[in-house]
Amino acid sequence: MNRLEKFNWPGWLVFGLLLLLWELSARGTPKLQLYFPPVSQIFGALVQALQSGPLLSHFAVTLMRFCAGYLLSALLAVSAGVVFGHFRSIHHVFATAIEFLRPMPSVAIIPVAILLLGIGDSMIVTVTIYATIWPILINTIDGVRHIDATLVHTGQTFGLSHRQILWQIIVPAAAPYIVTGLRIGLSIALILVTTAEMIIGSKGLGFFILDEERAMNSANMYAGIIFVAVLGYLLNRVFLTVEARALRWRHGMTARDAA
Amino acid sequence: MSLGKFNGVLFVFGALGVWQLVAMAEWVNPLIVPPPSKILKIFFDLVGSGEIPRQILVSMKRAGVGYALAALVCIPLGIFMGLSQTVYRSCVVVIEMLRPVPPPVIIPVALLFFGLGDEMKIFVIFFSCAWPILLNTLDGVRHLDSVLLNTARSFGLSRTRIIWQVILPDCSPQIVTGLRVSLPIMLILVVISEMVGSTDGIGYFVLDSQRRFKVAQMYAGMFALAVLGYSLNQLFDLLQRLLLPWHWRMMRKKDEG
Repeated sequence: MNRLEKFNWPGWLVFGLLLLLWELSARGTPKLQLYFPPVSQIFGALVQALQSGPLLSHFAVTLMRFCAGYLLSALLAVSAGVVFGHFRSIHHVFATAIEFLRPMPSVAIIPVAILLLGIGDSMIVTVTIYATIWPILINTIDGVRHIDATLVHTGQTFGLSHRQILWQIIVPAAAPYIVTGLRIGLSIALILVTTAEMIIGSKGLGFFILDEERAMNSANMYAGIIFVAVLGYLLNRVFLTVEARALRWRHGMTARDAA
Repeated sequence: MSLGKFNGVLFVFGALGVWQLVAMAEWVNPLIVPPPSKILKIFFDLVGSGEIPRQILVSMKRAGVGYALAALVCIPLGIFMGLSQTVYRSCVVVIEMLRPVPPPVIIPVALLFFGLGDEMKIFVIFFSCAWPILLNTLDGVRHLDSVLLNTARSFGLSRTRIIWQVILPDCSPQIVTGLRVSLPIMLILVVISEMVGSTDGIGYFVLDSQRRFKVAQMYAGMFALAVLGYSLNQLFDLLQRLLLPWHWRMMRKKDEG
């Protein structure tokens, strides 16, 4: 299929028309401009904020917090998930505590974190870790549980060490589940970072957007939102690329299965 | 009770016991980490005085309206988009543009338009619950067995009857999944929006208790939120069992298998 055929003309047309409608109605009614500044003005604000720097430095702060929180929680949750999934007795010990903590909306932890850690980066990162752990942990446990027991037994029969069984059988076999958890965690981590920045922040994109709203600079506010949306989109893209590479063997396998 | 479950409960009580001892021995600042016994006492006091139930009621009213609106708009929209390729292609770009916006970021926009009132929270909850419901419904309709649709058409069923008697029952598992995924999102967003801009509701209550340094009251509010989250899940399961018994049995079988 060539690219031209794949391009979604009606979709982009509708999108363009909506933007045009927005632009024209905002220009037509000055009263609306406080809430809906014309699109051109928003893009102007975006370009200006990018050039003069504040948006970029807020972005850098947010990205750093996001990466620290997300990567640490992935590390913690995947290792704990593998242990819990593999050793039922250990999982049983923590299961009740997990069942109780999980339904609590994770943002409720923010006040406690403020109390214990103050209002710095460590608080935001901790809150992000806490919230992001759950989907990754639960999916990893699920994945390890659903491994075909024959796989592990075969490994044992061939005299593989525990470490080899872990790295060469359990982790690859559970990988699809783990990846699902990691993917859900991605958007949760971004939600938590921006929320925490709104509540306590003096820096970061979440703070920037709320602050511009309070200052009634709605063009800047929308510019910030576009920026966060682009960030979310790019993170997802990066994730998909990494996933496709890391799980390339799996795509090959399923393709062969289908054939 | 199985031994495994017993161990789990034992661990929770053990952890609470250690917390109690540490707090009573004042190894950590008791102002920041009060003993669980005190938190529980305050929790029951606040439930008894009606303060916590009142805050939860306020929050749940907002959450319920936003969630119901999201379901009422997004399920029909999802079916409509799933049935017509033209509608799908026309809407998909706008949806793909809006979807990566993390929901809390919408709060300032809602503040701008609606101020601090209920409408602001309802809009935020609507916006964030809309995506899982819409995308799951869409997915269900697009993966509908075409034989089903064609059979219904050959039998001369009207469009409305096809939607009610073929599409809705066949897609209900996906629709339920969307509703299920949105449930915790709803709770998270009502709490966030109340923390950022509100003067009541359980999210405001927890953050406000922290700001006034009423720490035990803050923990009691969090405990109430955990109970609330758990009850909402149970309620959803119950409704699912009552309204879609066949689907419930199917899921159970899958879990056990």
